[in-house]
Amino acid sequence: MKRILLVEDNALNRDMLSRRLAKRGYQVDLAVDGVEGVAMARATTPDLILMDMSLPLKDGWEATMDIKADPLTTRIPVIGLSAHAMDGDRDKALQAGCDDYDTKPVELDRLLGKIEALLGRSTQAG
Amino acid sequence: MSSAASESLTGSEVAHLRHELRTPVNQIVGYCEMLLEDAQVPQLAHRQATLRAALDAVREATALIDSALPPTSATIGKDRIVSLYESLHAPQTRIIDAMSGLLNARTGDADAEFIADVCRIRDAAERLLPTDRPREESTGSFPLPAAVSVAPSAAVGSKPGRAANILVVDDVEENRGVLQRRLNREGHAVTCASSGPEALHVVKRHAFDMVLLDVMMPGMDGYETLQHLKESPDTHEIPVIMISALDDIASIVRCIERGAEDYLPKPFDPVLLRARISACLEKKDARDREREYLRDVMRVVAAAVAFERGAYAGGSLQEVSQRTDELGTLGRVFDTMIAGIREREARMRGQIDRLREEIADVSDSAMSESDEFPEVLLPGATFADRYTIDRPIGKGGMGMVYLADDLELGERVAIKTLRPELLTADETAIERFRNEIRLARRIAHRNIVRTHDFGKADGVYFVTMEFVEGTTLRAVLDRRGHLSASAVLAIAKQLAEALRCAHDEGIIHRDIKPQNLLLDAAGTLKVMDFGVARLAEMTSSLTQAGMVVGTPTYMAPEQLLDESVDARSDLYAAGVVLYECLTGRPPYEGRSPIALIAKILHEEAKTPEAVNPDVPHAVSAMVMHLLAKDVTTRLQSAGALAEVLSGLA
Repeated sequence: MKRILLVEDNALNRDMLSRRLAKRGYQVDLAVDGVEGVAMARATTPDLILMDMSLPLKDGWEATMDIKADPLTTRIPVIGLSAHAMDGDRDKALQAGCDDYDTKPVELDRLLGKIEALLGRSTQAG
Repeated sequence: MSSAASESLTGSEVAHLRHELRTPVNQIVGYCEMLLEDAQVPQLAHRQATLRAALDAVREATALIDSALPPTSATIGKDRIVSLYESLHAPQTRIIDAMSGLLNARTGDADAEFIADVCRIRDAAERLLPTDRPREESTGSFPLPAAVSVAPSAAVGSKPGRAANILVVDDVEENRGVLQRRLNREGHAVTCASSGPEALHVVKRHAFDMVLLDVMMPGMDGYETLQHLKESPDTHEIPVIMISALDDIASIVRCIERGAEDYLPKPFDPVLLRARISACLEKKDARDREREYLRDVMRVVAAAVAFERGAYAGGSLQEVSQRTDELGTLGRVFDTMIAGIREREARMRGQIDRLREEIADVSDSAMSESDEFPEVLLPGATFADRYTIDRPIGKGGMGMVYLADDLELGERVAIKTLRPELLTADETAIERFRNEIRLARRIAHRNIVRTHDFGKADGVYFVTMEFVEGTTLRAVLDRRGHLSASAVLAIAKQLAEALRCAHDEGIIHRDIKPQNLLLDAAGTLKVMDFGVARLAEMTSSLTQAGMVVGTPTYMAPEQLLDESVDARSDLYAAGVVLYECLTGRPPYEGRSPIALIAKILHEEAKTPEAVNPDVPHAVSAMVMHLLAKDVTTRLQSAGALAEVLSGLA
C-alpha cells in the first residue's frame, strides 16, 4: 500500500481528502502544520507528500524546501496544493521544489492522475 | 476585514479573500463528490440527484469567485465584492437547502457518518458568506443522533494519546465547557479555572500534566499567569499550551519567550489540539524520564561518595536497582559489591577483635632482654639539636630504638640508632642508604610505620620514624606461643596490605619478621624498618659469617643464595611469619645458622595443619603457597595474597 503524507491545517480538508485517498487504497498520514509535516516526512518517509501551501508555523513552500534539502526526504515527490490559484503560485511552488502543483477545489481524478504519475516515476526511479 | 471600509482591495487582500472563499467551496466539492461516489450503489441512488444539485451550485459559486476575483494581483473595487457576495447567495442557499433536504428526508439507511458529512457541507456553505446575523448552532434545526459528531471523523493515521490531568484556564464559561467536553472525550481528566489567580491557586494543590491557558482574560491575563507559573519552582515544570484568538506571530513569540510549550489559535482545530496535547505530553514524559534517570544517577553517585567516606548505610539504591536498564544493573552490582565488602569488613573486625583479645596481656618484653648493644643516647639528653630523648624502647639487629620528642614538629618520634660498624664502609654506601630511606619516606599506609628522616649527629647515624605504642609480634609469640587462625588472618590481611602498598611503590622490605611487626592495642599491625634492612644487606659482605641480617629464619631461598631479590622474597618471609603465628614455631629450625640455611634450601617443611590440627586446611595451604622454594610457584604478589585472604573465612 502506497503511503501518502497529507500536510493540511484545515480540519475538514484534511478529513475529506484523507478519506477519499484512503478509499482509493492509499495509506494516509496526517500533519497539521509545516513543522509537523517536515518531521513526519523524516519519520515516515512516505511515497508521496500532498502539501498545502498555506500552513501555520511553517508554510508549504518553506516546508517543501526543507524536505527537498534533506537527503533522507529529497526523493519523495511533493505535490503542492493551494486555494490561492493566483498567478505565480504554481511557479513559486515548483521553485520551492514541488514536483507538481494542483489547485483547490481539488478535482480528485486530476489529482489522482498526478499522484499516480509521480508514484510511477518514483517507483521506476527507486 | 480591515479594508472593507475602503473603496478597494489590494492585490494581497484579493488573494486572501479568494482563499477564504475557496476554502469552504473546496470542502463542499470534496464532500459532495465523496457522498456521490458512495451513492453509486443502488440502495443509495436516491441521494444522487440532490448531491448533483449541490455540486452544480458549488461549481457555480466557484465560477463566480474566479470571475470576480481573478488570479491576478490587480486591485479590485469594493462594489465588485458586494456584487460577488450577492451573487453567491443563491448557490449558497441551494446548497444549504439540498443538505437540509437530505437531512429531513433521511431514512434508515442514513448512517452517522453520512449525516455528519452532510452537516459539514451545510456548515461550509454557511461559512461561504460573511454574515451579520447570529450564526445558527452548528447542529441547526436538524437534530442529530447523540452518537453523531460534526467533528472530523476519526482521522486516518491519528493515534490515541495517553490520558492526562489537564487544567483549563479560560474566563469564558462556554469555552471552558467546550474544551472540557472535548478533552474528556479524549480520556483526559479536566479541571477548570476561570481566572489567572484561580489557576495559580488550583495548580499548587493538584498534580497537573499540563495547563491550557487562555491569553485574553480580565485582570491577570494569560501572559502574567504564565509568568507566575514559570517563576514558581513548584509549577515551572508543568507544560503550558496557550490558547487564544490572537494568531499573530508577536503573541506566539511572547508566549514562547515566557516559557509556553506551544500555542493554539482559536477557534481551535480538534485534530491540531489533540496532536499538540499528545506531543506536549510525550515531551513532558521524556523530560520526566530524563529527570528520573538523572535523579537515580545522583543516587548512585551519592552512595559511592558516602561509601568512600565510610558513611554508606546501604539500601538507598533499592529503587535504582529495580530499573531494567544499565543503571539498574549498576545499582544492583554496587549493592552486591558493598554487601560483599561489608561481609569481609565484618569478618575482618571479628578477626581483629580476636587478635586484640590474644595480645591484650602482652607487653613488649624486648627491653627486658639483656642489652646486646650499649645505650648511646641518654634519657633527658638533647640529640641532634632537635630531639629530647625520653627512654629506650627497643633494640634490634642494627641498634637501639628510643622514644624522643621532636622539638621542631612537637610530636613523639622513635629514633633508631644504627650500629657504627654498619656504616663505616664508605660514603657510597651511606649515600645508597640515604636514597633507600628517601624512597621509604614516600610510603604512607596505616599498616606501615612512617619513616621520617636519616641523619648523623654526635658521630651516631640514626633514622627517625613514627612512634607506635604497642608491642612487637615477636613479644606476642614469645608470650603466647601461637595464635588462633582467626587472629592470624587479621595479621595476614594487614601485612598483605602493607606489602602491597610498598611493593606498588617499588620498595622491598627484605627483612619481614615478627620483630619488625608492631601491634597496637586496637589490633592494628604496622610494619617497621622499611628501607633500614637494606643497610644490613648492603654491608653484609663486610660482616662476618653468621652476622648476616640477624637470623636467616625468615629469609627466602633466593635471598640466602644472594640471587635477585624481589617482592616475592617479602612474601616468603610473610609466609614464615604466618607459619610461626599458627604453629608457634618457624617452618625450619637448626642448631646453627648453617644447618638452618641447609634446611631452608633443601627440606620440605611440615604443613601448619600437620603441626597444629586447629589450623584450617585453606589457611595452611595459603601459607605453604607463600613458602614455595621456587620463586615462580610462590604466590606472586601481595595483591594476590590479599585476594586469597579475602576468600578465607
